[in-house]
Amino acid sequence: MSVVTEVSQDGQKLTISIKGRFDFAKHQEFRESYENLTPKPESFEVNLKDATYLDSSALGMLLLLRDHAGGENAEITLSNANADVRKILAISNFEQIFDVA
Amino acid sequence: MTAVQTPFESLTVLIAEDSAADRLLLSTIVRRQGHEVLTAANGAEAVEVFRQQRPQLVLMDAMMPVMDGFEAAQQIKALAGETLVPIIFLTSLTESEGLARCLEAGGDDFLAKPYNQVILAAKIKAMDRLRRLQATVLQQRDQIARHHNYLLNEQRVAKAVFDKVAHSGCLNAPNIRYLQSPYALFNGDLLLAAFTPAGDMHVLLGDFTGHGLPAAVGAMPLAEVFYGMTAKGYGLSETLREMNAKLKRILPVDMFCCATLLCLSFQRRSVEVWNGGMPDGYLHNIASDERTPLTARHLPLGVLSPDTFDDRTEVFPMAVGDRVFLLSDGVIDTCDANEQLFGVERLHQVFTANRQPEELFEEIERALRDFRGEARDDVSMVEVSLLDATQMRPPTLVYSDSGQSCPLDWSVSFEFRAASLKRFNPLPYLLQLLLEVHGLRAQSGALYSVLAELYSNALEHGVLGLDSSLKRDALGFARYYQERNARLDALHSGYVRVHLEVVPTGEGGCLLIRVEDSGKGFDIARVMERPAENVRLSGRGVNLVQQLGRNASWSDNGRSARVEFFWDALA
Amino acid sequence: MDDPHLNRDVLVALQEVMEDEYPVLLDTFLADSEERLSLLRQQKDAGQLMETAHSFKGSSSNMGAVRLAELCNKLEHRAKISPRSDLQNLIREIDLEFAFVRPLYEAERERSLFEKATVRRF
Repeated sequence: MSVVTEVSQDGQKLTISIKGRFDFAKHQEFRESYENLTPKPESFEVNLKDATYLDSSALGMLLLLRDHAGGENAEITLSNANADVRKILAISNFEQIFDVA
Repeated sequence: MTAVQTPFESLTVLIAEDSAADRLLLSTIVRRQGHEVLTAANGAEAVEVFRQQRPQLVLMDAMMPVMDGFEAAQQIKALAGETLVPIIFLTSLTESEGLARCLEAGGDDFLAKPYNQVILAAKIKAMDRLRRLQATVLQQRDQIARHHNYLLNEQRVAKAVFDKVAHSGCLNAPNIRYLQSPYALFNGDLLLAAFTPAGDMHVLLGDFTGHGLPAAVGAMPLAEVFYGMTAKGYGLSETLREMNAKLKRILPVDMFCCATLLCLSFQRRSVEVWNGGMPDGYLHNIASDERTPLTARHLPLGVLSPDTFDDRTEVFPMAVGDRVFLLSDGVIDTCDANEQLFGVERLHQVFTANRQPEELFEEIERALRDFRGEARDDVSMVEVSLLDATQMRPPTLVYSDSGQSCPLDWSVSFEFRAASLKRFNPLPYLLQLLLEVHGLRAQSGALYSVLAELYSNALEHGVLGLDSSLKRDALGFARYYQERNARLDALHSGYVRVHLEVVPTGEGGCLLIRVEDSGKGFDIARVMERPAENVRLSGRGVNLVQQLGRNASWSDNGRSARVEFFWDALA
Repeated sequence: MDDPHLNRDVLVALQEVMEDEYPVLLDTFLADSEERLSLLRQQKDAGQLMETAHSFKGSSSNMGAVRLAELCNKLEHRAKISPRSDLQNLIREIDLEFAFVRPLYEAERERSLFEKATVRRF
C-alpha cells in the first residue's frame, strides 16, 4: 500500500504517508484516505518522507484535501519532503498555502 | 466453485479426412454432439469448402493426398484472417517433429486415433471457448477504435474553435518567436499574445493541469478574458485578478493553470512580469549578456480566492534588442532512458554556449533530442524582443457598432480619490467612452497612450510623490515599483481629476483632455529644457504627450496637464 | 476376453454412435481397406508406402482392428529404412491379418442388420 494513514488517539489529527511516486495513479487511494472519516479531523499532515516525485496532479490532490479540510482555514502540514519534492513545491509556491515543514 | 456454464452453441464443423470410413465415423460423432458437419476428402477440397462455407471449426487429418493437412491448415488460417478458426489435427503422429509441424502450421490442438468421443467433445468445447473469446476481443477492439475516433473528432472540433480564439491574438508580430507543438493545447499548454490600445504587448504562457479536453476547456474562458481586457486597455494586474477569479469559479478544485504573464512596453522600454508556478523565464540583456531569471513568486491561477489573490508584478527595464525567454516545464522535465532529468543546469549550458540569439530555439531542441534520444512534442517556448516603438505596428481596433450616430458635443469630469486610486484603473472606461466618438477611433492608440501617461504621472509623481529619477538603472527600477506599491497601499488622501470635453469644429471636432492631481507639482520649465534623449529609461512622458497630442501644456505648477486631439470630417 | 485381432468394445461403441449407419460404416471400412491393400501391393515408392500404411493404421485402429493397426504401424516406420524384401513380408502379413478379420466384420454387419429387423417387428 503506497498511501498509509494514521489517526491520532483523540481523532483530531490525520497523518497520510505517501510512498513512491505521488501522481495520478494514487488519486483514488488518496481521496479515500480522508474523505469518510467521522468525526472529521481538525488537522492533517501529509508525510512525504518516502515520496520520490510529485507532479501537477499531486498538487491538485493536495488542493482537494485543503478544500475538504476547510479551504482557507485548513490546517495542513507537508512534512519531510526531499530536495526534488521541495523544489516542485517551491516553484508552484504551494508553501504559501501549505505549511511545509 | 460453481463454474459458469456457457450455453451450448451449435457449430459448423469441417471434417477433412481422406479415409472414407474415418470420415463417416467422425461426421457421425460430431453430428451427434449437435453440430452441423461439412466434409472434405483432401486438403485442396478442405480449403475450397472453407472458402465457400466458412465453418467455425476444422478437424483436419494431417496426411492427405493432393494437399496435406499442414498446407491446408496454413491456407485456411490465412483465409480466416484475424478471426480465430480453431484447427484440430487428427493424427497418430507422436514424434515431436510431427507435433511441431502441427503447431507451426497453425494447429490449435490434436486428436489421436482411435477417436475418443468424450475427448473429442471436450476439445471441441474448449476450442469453441477460445473462438468466442477471440471474437469478443475483436468486437471490443473495434468498439474501442470507434470510440477513439469519436474522441479524436471531438478534439478536432475543440481545437478548431480554440484556434479561432487563439488566433485573434498577435503571435505573428515581428518581435515574437515561438515554438509550440500542434498538440500543445491538449497538453494544457497555452500561448497568447495581444496588443493593448497603447501599443504595449501582453503575452501569456500557460500550463493547465491535466491533458486533453479538460485542459483545453479551461483555456477558452481564460483566453477570452485575456483578449477582452487587453484590448480594452486593462493592465496586467486587473487582467490577472479577473483570470484568477474566473478559473477559481469554473474549474474543479484540483485544476489550475500555471502561467507567466508579460507586459512589454515599447514606449517605456520595460517589461512587467507575473509568474505563478511556471519554471523560470529569462530576461536576456544583450549588452551585458546577462540573463536575469524571472522566478515564480505566485501560486498558479485558479487556486486562491479573489480576496487572497496576489496580483503584484515586477518591472524590469529593457533596451532595444533585449529579449524575454519563457518555456514550459516540458523542457526541464525531459527524461532520458535512466530517468535523469534534463534540468536547469543543462539549459543554462545551452544558454552559455549560444552565440546567435536566433538559433537559441534550435539549440535547445537539439540538446533535448540528444539527451532524450528522440524529439519531444509537448514543449512550448516563446521569445519576445523589445523592438523600437517605430517598428511595431499594432493592428487597428475593430468596432462593433454601425458607425452611424455618435455623441459630438459633451463634457464630463471625474474625480478619483484615494480608495479608488488604490484598486481601480479608470483608463479602460475613459477610453471606451472616447471611442464612442467615431472621429477619434483612428487615433485610439495615441489617445490611450496619452491618457495613460497623464494618469500615471498624476498618480505616481503627483499623488504618490515618487521621483522618476529613481528609474535610472535596473535596481532603481525594482525599487521604484516596490515603493509605488507600498505608497499606494498606504494611501488615504489625494485625488486625480480627469476632465474630457468634445466639441464639434466645422466638419470635424476637438477633444480636450485635462488631468489634475493633488500632488506637489514639478518644475515645468526645467523638464522642458531637458533634451529629448531616447536612451534614458524614464522621463519620456512629457515628450510623448507633446508628440502624440496637440497643444500640450502644463499649469498650476505642473499639477494640471492639458492636451488636445483634433479630427477632420470622416470620409 | 482380450481378442488381439478385434476389440469388441470398440465395435459396441461404434454401433452405439452410428446407430442405423453402423452397417454402412462397416461396409465403407471394408471397401476402403481393399483399396489400401491393393495400393500396398503395387506401390514402389517408399514415401507413398509410408502414407498408405499410416492411413490404413488410422482407420484400423478406429475400427478396433488392433493387430492390423500394429502391423500397419510397423510398415509405416520401416517403409523408408528396410529393404524391399522385408517390406514385402510385412505387406503379406497385413494381407493375411485383414483376411482374418474381414469375415468377422461381415458377420458383425449381418448381426446388426438382423438385430434391426428383429427390433423393428415391435
